[in-house]
Amino acid sequence: MTIGSQVKQSLANMKAIHATLQELALTSTNEEAQRAFHEAMLQTEQMIAALKGRISTLEREEPQYKGM
Amino acid sequence: MPAWLEVAIRSICILIGLFIITKLLGKKQLSKLSFFEYIVGITIGDIAGSMSMDLDIRLTEGITSILIWSLFPVVISTISLRSKKFRDFVEGNSTVFIKNGKILEDNLKKEKYTADELLEQLRKKDVFRVADVEFATLEANGDLSILLKRDKQPLTLGDIKPYVPEEKEPQTVIMDGKILDEPLATARLSRGWLKQQLDQMGVAVENVFLAQVDSYGQLTVDLYDDRIQVPAPQQKQLLLASMKKAEADFELFSLQTNDAEAKQMYEQQAKHMQQLIQKLRPFLM
Repeated sequence: MTIGSQVKQSLANMKAIHATLQELALTSTNEEAQRAFHEAMLQTEQMIAALKGRISTLEREEPQYKGM
Repeated sequence: MPAWLEVAIRSICILIGLFIITKLLGKKQLSKLSFFEYIVGITIGDIAGSMSMDLDIRLTEGITSILIWSLFPVVISTISLRSKKFRDFVEGNSTVFIKNGKILEDNLKKEKYTADELLEQLRKKDVFRVADVEFATLEANGDLSILLKRDKQPLTLGDIKPYVPEEKEPQTVIMDGKILDEPLATARLSRGWLKQQLDQMGVAVENVFLAQVDSYGQLTVDLYDDRIQVPAPQQKQLLLASMKKAEADFELFSLQTNDAEAKQMYEQQAKHMQQLIQKLRPFLM
């Protein structure tokens, strides 16, 4: 497995975390927990952005692994 | 009118009357019967019983008696609500038996308690050593309340964890196979969400005897058919696991890459993720 696909897998994992946090933020009735989940969700968005940036760099360097 | 018909009519009327009276007396009477209320209850029952059977007693006389017997406690409890002094007189005060870890023998004597009876009461509260008790008081209703010494008190979550998030009461959203809309709305969830959750578990609403939602929106169900195994909610544990995996991924990538800039980015994200896990851990446990 190339680094490119590994990073993409990690991105998928991050997206899953993001979605779960969002769901928990919406379904929690405890306000404190709601806020914590929401803040965490926003932070994961930054991580996702960083990973996406890295993936586009990798694809530019090794165009043969583009796509997926 | 035949006698049996009169007895029947009387009994039914008295039953309805007694039902209204017990509603009037309220819930408090049930849980915390003082000796006085106990006697009043027995007397009312006795009067009602003889009234329904004994045709010599005229209804008006019986009803007057019942009304007096049942209204008296109501009046007393209304006055008690207003005046603390009256309350102390009627309901009695609590007596301190152990203070600062020392037994107050005079108070024991005053309440006619022997040392054996005190020990028995303590044992009922799972206390076998008097030395473990900091404070004990005999309540007005005869119960012994105990405050253990600090080092003998049971361990609570707040003792070992500096911060524990609040947990709200769970809501019962399905009962006897029917969706309860009001608790569902209290949990700020919809029927659609519930259906989706049940579909994920692979059960139909009709087969659910009881379902509850906790304050994190996790659904737990009990089915009519006890042979079917329903998975316990794992969303929170899975989230924690995948967050740990993400952190490990970032660390791995930072070791693998030769690009200095990317290395720094990965290390930073790994640190962020670690902080995030630390912050969310109390909610996900």
